[in-house]
Amino acid sequence: MDFFEPRINADNAPFWEGCKAHELRFQRCKRCGKVRWPAAYLCPECLSEDTEWVTLPNRGTLYSYVVMQKPFHPSLAEKVPYVIAEVDLAEGVRITTNMFDCDVSALKCGGEVAIDFLDSETYSRPIAIWKGASE
Amino acid sequence: MILDQLKNQFAIVGVGYTPQGKIPNRTAVSFHIQAVKAALEDAGINKSEIDALYVYRHFDPISGDYDTTAFTVAEQLGVRPSVIGQETYCTRGWLYNGIGLLASGLARYVVISYGDNARSGRRSFVKELAGGKATDDLAAFGDLSTMAKYSMQARHAMDTYGTGPDVWKEIAIAERQWACLNPIAGMYGKPLDDEGYFSASMVAEPLRLLDATPNSDGGRAIVLTTVERAKSLGHPYAVIRGFGSANQPVLPLKICVDDPNAAAKVASAKAFSMAGITHADVDACELYDCFTYTVEATLRDYGFFRPEECRDFLRREHIGPGGSLPVNTSGGMLSEAYFMGMTPISEAVMQLTGRCGDRQLGKLPGTKTPSIIVCSDNGAVFQSHICLVLERGE
Ligand SMILES: [Zn+2]
Repeated sequence: MDFFEPRINADNAPFWEGCKAHELRFQRCKRCGKVRWPAAYLCPECLSEDTEWVTLPNRGTLYSYVVMQKPFHPSLAEKVPYVIAEVDLAEGVRITTNMFDCDVSALKCGGEVAIDFLDSETYSRPIAIWKGASE
Repeated sequence: MILDQLKNQFAIVGVGYTPQGKIPNRTAVSFHIQAVKAALEDAGINKSEIDALYVYRHFDPISGDYDTTAFTVAEQLGVRPSVIGQETYCTRGWLYNGIGLLASGLARYVVISYGDNARSGRRSFVKELAGGKATDDLAAFGDLSTMAKYSMQARHAMDTYGTGPDVWKEIAIAERQWACLNPIAGMYGKPLDDEGYFSASMVAEPLRLLDATPNSDGGRAIVLTTVERAKSLGHPYAVIRGFGSANQPVLPLKICVDDPNAAAKVASAKAFSMAGITHADVDACELYDCFTYTVEATLRDYGFFRPEECRDFLRREHIGPGGSLPVNTSGGMLSEAYFMGMTPISEAVMQLTGRCGDRQLGKLPGTKTPSIIVCSDNGAVFQSHICLVLERGE
């Protein structure tokens, strides 16, 4: 299910390129090692501009999720209800994503998810797949 | 430490109201200037004494309005303050800016103003789209609305600490009970019960329609000055015994429910410490309540209860009329009117100066005359926070 095309800019373009290759790419500071998101020109920890793009594993834990029941835009009227999720990846990175075709009543914050990708005509985006509550 | 020197040095000496609720055929700026005019009259000062004017968040104009800026508000009031400013987003900077100007002597009186025709103009708070195009990454995930972002935090607290709709309903109902004692409240005469709460439609689950503040037309303004000047005005006022401000400038998705550096925790720790008070000294709280969950998060972050105690603490018998910790005695933004931080702060001043009619603490059965009220102002999604400890001034 597509919503709107993301706003891609000079900072975040490699992330969205990574999504097309079905990879979660983020910037890592070559000075202090901190991985950052949102994408930024320099490291908010140490202000170094020396940056490399690294690929994080396609899995994480569910920080939280919301079931959108009311459309906040006319074009969403036929898409509700849908789930917006926030997922903690490795290295302290948290992303916004969606979860489709899941049993909403089974979801629980802290549970495990895998990251897959949904390809649209002009871009791809990460989607979380529910793997179950952690014990 | 500088904060200790600022204790009890400043005061809120005037509060300005306008007609509110659904007031069609009015521009946003008309509410600003009407609120400021009323605040000046309430304070008993002349408009030429305003040295600084701060206007709340800049909105895109609706209802055919021209753009409402700090310039237009000043122009239409016929004032030329040395300092005029406006939030471009929900960055709550007015307090430190205003105090700094008063402390340095650069300003005699500082006015803070809010006004909008949000209800008649059906203002949308969706910022993730402009003209159907995404303004950031989030629109790609259908993440449009402030409500979804608050709901995300509410859900995390629900799964982690056992809060949920049956707690949030207590907040909604308690505030509605207060509103039913306040004739100018939007929900005056419209009592709410459990059934009414649960029958409200889900919007961004787990938050329902009645967990969210409705839009209001209207405005609200306050006048700040030094305690020395306040004394010369010859009427009751509210002393700023303690205050704190903090920002957490990160994306809403990076806000963590259990962050030890949450803006509300940092701001309230400063304010309580400056004021030299404990929670037991607080007679009432007037809190920014864009959503029911915001009240829970604020009281929790202020340290009134531990996260897992939310269920015991947030009961209508405790925070509603007659309860031992009155919260949002005007009905709050949820049930009185949405004027951002001006809603809670003006109510605190009105309570401390004894002008609250049927809902006046100390007159309402089971309540005591308040001497200390804690207030909050909150910006964006828990990203900017002001905490004020106000005390009755003689
Ligand atoms: Zn670094």
